[in-house]
Amino acid sequence: MLAWLGRKVGGALVVLWLVATAIFIGVRLIPGDPAEAIMGGPGSQASAEALAAARSEYGLDLPLITQYLMFLAKLIRLDFGTSYALKDPVLQVIAEVLPPTITLALISLAAAWLLSLIFAMLAMRATRAGQCVGNAVEIIAAAVPHFWLGAVLIMLFSSMLGWFPAVDNGTGAGLVLPVLTLALPLAGFLTQLMRDSLSTALGSQFALAARTRGESRLTVFWRHGLRHAALPALGLTGWAFSSLLSGAVVVEAIFARPGLGRSLLSAVLSRDIPMVTGIALFSALVYIVVMALTEAIERLIDPAGAES
Amino acid sequence: MQRTQRATRLLTGALALPLAGALIAGCSTTSDPSATEDLKPVAGGTLVYASGDAEPNCLDPHVGGNYPQALVASQFMESLFSKDAKGEIVPWLAEKSEVSEDGLTRTITLREGISFHDGTPLTAEAIKANIEHLQDPNTASSTGYLAVGKVTEITIVDELTAQLELSAPDNALLESLSMPWTAIQSPEGLKRDQAANCAAPAGTGPFKVESWDRQQAVNLVRYEDYAAPAADPERAGSTAHLDGITWRFIPEAASRYAALQSGEVDVIDNPQPDTIATAADSGLGHLAAPRPGASNRVELNSSKAPFDDASVREAFIRSLDVNTGIDALYFNTAERSYSLLSSVEPLGISAEEKFGTDVERANQLLDEAGWTERDAQGYRLKDGKRLSLSFPVSTNQSVPAEQSLFEQMQAAAKNVGIEVKIDLLDLSSWYGALAKHEYDLVSAPYTKVGPSVLRILFHSDSTVPAPSGYFANNAQIKNPQLDRLLVEAEQTNDEAKRAELYERAQQIVLDGYYVIPLYDQQNHFLFSKNVHGMGETTAVSSPTYFNVFLNK
Repeated sequence: MLAWLGRKVGGALVVLWLVATAIFIGVRLIPGDPAEAIMGGPGSQASAEALAAARSEYGLDLPLITQYLMFLAKLIRLDFGTSYALKDPVLQVIAEVLPPTITLALISLAAAWLLSLIFAMLAMRATRAGQCVGNAVEIIAAAVPHFWLGAVLIMLFSSMLGWFPAVDNGTGAGLVLPVLTLALPLAGFLTQLMRDSLSTALGSQFALAARTRGESRLTVFWRHGLRHAALPALGLTGWAFSSLLSGAVVVEAIFARPGLGRSLLSAVLSRDIPMVTGIALFSALVYIVVMALTEAIERLIDPAGAES
Repeated sequence: MQRTQRATRLLTGALALPLAGALIAGCSTTSDPSATEDLKPVAGGTLVYASGDAEPNCLDPHVGGNYPQALVASQFMESLFSKDAKGEIVPWLAEKSEVSEDGLTRTITLREGISFHDGTPLTAEAIKANIEHLQDPNTASSTGYLAVGKVTEITIVDELTAQLELSAPDNALLESLSMPWTAIQSPEGLKRDQAANCAAPAGTGPFKVESWDRQQAVNLVRYEDYAAPAADPERAGSTAHLDGITWRFIPEAASRYAALQSGEVDVIDNPQPDTIATAADSGLGHLAAPRPGASNRVELNSSKAPFDDASVREAFIRSLDVNTGIDALYFNTAERSYSLLSSVEPLGISAEEKFGTDVERANQLLDEAGWTERDAQGYRLKDGKRLSLSFPVSTNQSVPAEQSLFEQMQAAAKNVGIEVKIDLLDLSSWYGALAKHEYDLVSAPYTKVGPSVLRILFHSDSTVPAPSGYFANNAQIKNPQLDRLLVEAEQTNDEAKRAELYERAQQIVLDGYYVIPLYDQQNHFLFSKNVHGMGETTAVSSPTYFNVFLNK
């Protein structure tokens, strides 16, 4: 286990270094003068002296390789720099906007799992025609883009029915539509994954044996079917969580929720390089940690499978 | 006659503008349900405002200086001057103002008894501190910086009087000082570091900043010691009706409108044209407040081929049918403009005859200009080169309806063999394309109070980029006669002469087919039926909520 952990941490550091380097090069390829972003954004009237002062203050006048090494040296000390636009330390800004995004992503993940379990159970009991319909619904759900689904949900549940608020208001009711927007496509995807392995499991000898022992269909579903069916879906939870984080960029804008996604959007638009870099590195880190966690859980559930 | 009467006022120093009927449109509501009732104002309640603009990084409109900042800052900061319902510049925090015979010294006297939100009294010291703050490079002011560009020195004469020395006469100074980007804030507040002042600038407005939860809301509460003047004499000496305003940012237009319909918010800005058109049927109030300064327009880059040829410029303009597009895409909520200036600017002239569709003439002009051959796709050629125009469009500054309008222009131009390449860009890339002169057509809004915006947009000095690469003369007009007119118009102390000079200047630009005016800078607000008293705005048409009340 220790050796595994060591490999993971080493790998993670290499990935982070690659990501950091890619971002460093990437943001410098975007048109626009960073000094201008510091001095009031695009179209500013900043004087030559003010721009020069900003350049030297932020080290933008140094050779690129020096800037790169300084950037890495700061990262090692966990110094992500200061936001050009907000003039606050990047880590502080991330810490402020992280909780609402994490909350949204975790609740959406739980909701997606719940929904896909319900779908899977319904599918099990459905007729052939019903399964076809269910299958189609899942595929559509998995394919709809967040911005479209969000708009439709607002129209339906806020404008027409008036059940839920259209925009975030800090209450639980305000969470319903954003969570559904993120959870429905994911649920469609997870159900599709579970469906195959579920029908294989339920059609297998041990499921039949259990039925002949007198266990109900539901018990067989929970005790035998699900355990096998959930594995492939669980393996994708790491990926799912990351997709929720990126979906948050759209959902936070539609439902006017605070969060990491909105920070990223405004940072990109205002060419706030330290902020974009910080959020991108942070997202990479989250991805690595979540992937490692799901792998660890998989090893616990199915130690034999993980070795192969 | 009106003008000569008013010209005498200049002797006493107040800068006056000739009255124009169109001006009243600037501050009037088009379909305001509250206007028909005569309700007694109710005190209390918190209004929820939802803005579609990006959340500012700084609430102090000196820093940077864009319209979203002006919208919110108009609630807690006030300017030395303002514009009355008739569109005339009137003293606001200032009580009076005089200018010397040579136009180089402007004396401003403040009203007595006004205090900032932090308790600091409003004195001449504030005028000095604020103008110096705007001119300080570390403030990174863009709009306000230009507005006070001619002020070279500020002397404090007595507690309430300051004297401004100017590098050249500037009859637009009071207009410049009426804008929220030059609003006056506490000199004590300005002594804090920029981050602290950005989070809660201390102004004199009827509301003050209580807190700012980034990405959620700016929370404004009533300022109980409000003492600044009110446009309505009956309201002088009183405070705002509302307990406060929750200023939210909801970037999605559809979500914003849904939130208004469901009562989650009370007022929204930047509504989609179709929702404006059906506002009355949906039981919503509508405030149309066109912004001052330039009209929204497409500019033709005359510094390079093919638009260095005036007849090609005219041919392009004649090939278009802009009106049909505007009516259809804006659901009749935007009126076509034929002027370089906003309809709220009294000195703007209109030239409808220059912009009529005439495809036959367009073809003839292009033939005469030597664009006679055609390639396989039907585009005109000259010396083997295609007649092709590049049109970078900023998605931050052009709403979807406007982008569709540009696409219709593209289709119309194709009919006469002109290719238009539209490039949708984010703001930074768009400025980048402009700085590199990679454009033949461009549309850039410019808000400023008064006709002096013409100098910023069309004087040859504005073709020289600022260090950041920014320049305002996108049509790249370099005309010495026009330059002289624009400078003289800004320096004269004769109001009639000023109007005449600006008229001649506009005529030169219009005659040269450098610009296609589209409509006023659209500035619409929708509000629910329990919001009353909407309609008052600042000099830049940003609504104020001093007289607004909720009747829930």
